[in-house]
Amino acid sequence: MMGKYKLELVTILAVLIFVAAFLIVSSGGAHSFTGSDDQGSAKIAELTGRPAGSFAPIIPQYVPPGSEIESSLFALQASLGGILLGLVFGYWLGQRRTPPGN
Amino acid sequence: MHIMEGFLPWQWCLVWWGVALPFLAMGILELRAMMRKDRVYLPLLGVCGAFIFILSALKLPSVTGSCSHPTGTGLSTLCFGVFITSIIGAIVLLFQALLLAHGGLSTLGANMVSMAIGGPIAGYAIYRLLRDTKVSLYVTVFLVTATADLVTYIITSFELALAYPAQAGGIPASFEAFFAIFAITQIPLAIVEGCVLALVFKYIIALKPEILITLKVFSEEQILRTRHLDEGTPAPGNRL
Repeated sequence: MMGKYKLELVTILAVLIFVAAFLIVSSGGAHSFTGSDDQGSAKIAELTGRPAGSFAPIIPQYVPPGSEIESSLFALQASLGGILLGLVFGYWLGQRRTPPGN
Repeated sequence: MHIMEGFLPWQWCLVWWGVALPFLAMGILELRAMMRKDRVYLPLLGVCGAFIFILSALKLPSVTGSCSHPTGTGLSTLCFGVFITSIIGAIVLLFQALLLAHGGLSTLGANMVSMAIGGPIAGYAIYRLLRDTKVSLYVTVFLVTATADLVTYIITSFELALAYPAQAGGIPASFEAFFAIFAITQIPLAIVEGCVLALVFKYIIALKPEILITLKVFSEEQILRTRHLDEGTPAPGNRL
């Protein structure tokens, strides 16, 4: 029984270790958990001696008007993936369960 | 790993677009040939794309005190190789550049080279190295996925170091600084991503092993043996 679900157990364990490490680090209150992309941009600003705001887009782009909108668009992206995933696995499961000839 | 719009000099934008375009062209040709041959691969292609969509949308906190996102390109790399993965990755990055201001059109070439091309190439190398050995399929999937994820961020660090060498220490010092921001944050995320995609691969083997066999991802014997071990059923050697 345990052998059958070994991979599931390993994955759950990895996630639990990850969550526990996050809880320990975040409980210190010393980190703001900003995005590494933003940190990268800040490092570029530091290396060039220019403020991050002075990097004008080469090609104009749409910027979500607020972090709430940005979060919802990220959620939309993940949900599109989730819908597709559910659809395909459901389709395969249906195929498996349908007797041949039906 | 997204390099934001305007944060890369236009000369470097052109260089990375120049590197990315041949891969995209090859990807389109491969995809067309595959779809003409048999559309049975389309659902698996959907699963691979869905994973890149989901995982690259998740900004997860890491133990280094910052947030980053997995890439999800490992599964596609295993099943379809580097060229088709470059197409799927490009679609996700384009979505993020156009709608989320995450990355940009000028930096899309550089972001494609790191996430949709460079990471998958490294993952594919691991796959080719381990495919015909006795290493467990799931360990192979784990290593391919984690490597593709981690190398993506190493390449981003390299791209930025080339464009912005430090005044003291030049490109190596700059690479070290970007590596500390991107790659170290990514290590725990890459490990978790590897475990999750290995688990997904197990369900694909359980539900649709014939696609993996047809695509020659692993040999029929390897897949049957793994399925037998997972389920404790039919002896290896029975055809599907």
